[in-house]
Amino acid sequence: MAANVFSRRALQATSRRLVAANPSTFSKTPLSRLPAPAAVAMGQHIQNRQAATTQVSQSGAQDILAAQRRHRPVSPHLAIYKPQVTWYLSALNRITGATLSGGIYVFGAAYLAAPLFGWHLESASLAASFATLPILAKVALKSLVALPFTFHSFNGLRHLVWDTGSSITNKQVIVTGWSVVGLSVVSALALTFL
Amino acid sequence: MAAASRASLLRQTQFLASSPTRLFSSTTQPLRLLRTTPSISSRLLLAPKWSAVSRAAPFSTTSQRNLLPPGPQVIEGTVNDPAAVPKVDPLHGSYHWTFERLLSVGLIPLTIAPFAAGSVNPALDAALIFSLIVHSHMGFQSMITDYIPRHKFPTMRKAFSWLLNVATVVVAIGFYEFETNDVGVTEAIKRIWHAGENDATIGKTDLSSLGHDGKLKNLK
Amino acid sequence: MAALRTASRLVAPTRSALRSSFAARSYATVTENSAFDTSASRPPVSPSKTSTVQEPKPDKDAKIKTFHIYRWNPDEPTSKPRMQSYTLDLNKTGPMMLDALIRIKNEVDPTLTFRRSCREGICGSCAMNIDGVNTLACLCKIPTDTAKESRIYPLPHTYVVKDLVPDLTHFYKQYKSIKPFLQRDTKSPDGKEFRQSPADRKKLDGLYECILCACCSTSCPSYWWNSEEYLGPAILLQSYRWLADSRDERKAERKEALDNSMSLYRCHTILNCSRTCPKGLNPAKAIAEIKKSLSFA
Repeated sequence: MAANVFSRRALQATSRRLVAANPSTFSKTPLSRLPAPAAVAMGQHIQNRQAATTQVSQSGAQDILAAQRRHRPVSPHLAIYKPQVTWYLSALNRITGATLSGGIYVFGAAYLAAPLFGWHLESASLAASFATLPILAKVALKSLVALPFTFHSFNGLRHLVWDTGSSITNKQVIVTGWSVVGLSVVSALALTFL
Repeated sequence: MAAASRASLLRQTQFLASSPTRLFSSTTQPLRLLRTTPSISSRLLLAPKWSAVSRAAPFSTTSQRNLLPPGPQVIEGTVNDPAAVPKVDPLHGSYHWTFERLLSVGLIPLTIAPFAAGSVNPALDAALIFSLIVHSHMGFQSMITDYIPRHKFPTMRKAFSWLLNVATVVVAIGFYEFETNDVGVTEAIKRIWHAGENDATIGKTDLSSLGHDGKLKNLK
Repeated sequence: MAALRTASRLVAPTRSALRSSFAARSYATVTENSAFDTSASRPPVSPSKTSTVQEPKPDKDAKIKTFHIYRWNPDEPTSKPRMQSYTLDLNKTGPMMLDALIRIKNEVDPTLTFRRSCREGICGSCAMNIDGVNTLACLCKIPTDTAKESRIYPLPHTYVVKDLVPDLTHFYKQYKSIKPFLQRDTKSPDGKEFRQSPADRKKLDGLYECILCACCSTSCPSYWWNSEEYLGPAILLQSYRWLADSRDERKAERKEALDNSMSLYRCHTILNCSRTCPKGLNPAKAIAEIKKSLSFA
């Protein structure tokens, strides 16, 4: 009889100590079932969280989200993306294309306007003035035209092949990309010193 | 406590939303103090074996951001609404793409011909230059579509599109003049390319062989 | 009180018999035949016989690697994003970038925020830009070259929710807009499932594996500039997945939805998408096939 009383006391003391030491595991483990009455009696079963909440309506929450979105920065892109043959050649394709087309546009418009301003843009006079340039300037000007031309042409071929859905695996793209770079440089040099 | 501060933060964000000052300030703020939150530093004391959080530098934005400002994030509709599907427009979609490819394919023989044959007849020459002009026009067009989105800069988009259309017409007329009055594009490039190859005087003799109308008397 | 104590002492010899399993597990009891001397007046063990806990010294062959990580806190909405540097000993870190991030979050800086879930490349949560390339952090090995510092950014040209967490709302909305589900008007002949030949099923290989991590879309410069209207490689690959499905009967509508200047044709075959795909898929090829089927059909 006495042993029974004392064992129950020991049990109570245990549960009290357990709750004090680690309330969360106490409530989660299956052990909690055994001393539960004791815990309830001591008011240990209630978790108190200090929290202040505000009621926000559905549309109000949307407004808060929309307001937060307006403050979001855009993550960095061009500056941090790894230089790869894929997008660098694509950018070069556009740049060289724009350079050549820009040249065509400028010359075409200037040729039309030439009589108004008294410019001489006939092929013969252009050739004559080009001939008077120093050799270095000639080479520079020629390569400045030849390289974009060869690159855009060869890379254009590559794009046309891709549009048929072939040669579009990673390896092929890298190999053909560097081949186009090499080929266009070589052919541009050939054109320059032709 | 945390929830309370969170709620006040939300309110603060809402308040800030009404003043769009930060989003377009691209200049770096001078003298930003390095911020380390208390939780980080206390963690550091607990775990000193890592010299963590050694530096914190403000992230510098690229100049590209100024060229194409993305603007603040605005999302139409709720999360569950699908993004709007544009109207069917094959003229700017599949037909446009197919025509562009066919034109590009057509340019291949036209480009090779002058190199292969040495010279081309005026018809082929005209075909080359006008194909090139259309090709250029489409290239510029796709640049405008890419870099000047219609929904963000409607006026600028319209202005640039018309500018391009006018420029293309002007250039086309210019090259029509050139083709009819001069020696043709490929021949002209060839002459300029080889001008003064052996002797600087060749150019001058060329000049002396010009007729009164700017045409060469005797073509090579 | 005193009586209690004596009583408990009386009970003590029988305690082990009465003790429930519960008490046995939670009490740090010392049995009678224990080897330790538990008396209060026990002398300390001499230092020569004990081990010493020393201040953790930096490991001699520690492989210290620096990680620069993009940080932005929405709780300070007016502040600019910044790069924060962390150093970790690679000997104590798992092999993948995600291990490094988790270790930083667990042990160094709990404020670091990133998405992660499956740690095996099937959920697509941990997509981010690591050393300049979009990939899944859980599939990206940490380069063992400690001289090179790693840089981790959120997916490029996305709106940042916090630190490495981008807002992909619009991306998902775009996915929804292509109706990513089987659309049929006719029932199957036997009233059971819609059957497919092995050859037709094979067409979906390389398409169905996409986990929509958004690595490819956010690696595409064209998507950077026009993400509002251009669908981007990931969504177009998904679109092709339904165009290539022999069971789908709304191919004409699907194609019509793409047939405008923005949705599909902002693709300029830059091919960053296929280059970066952490699952080894080929969105560029899928887009090329869509373009082909739209132009010559």
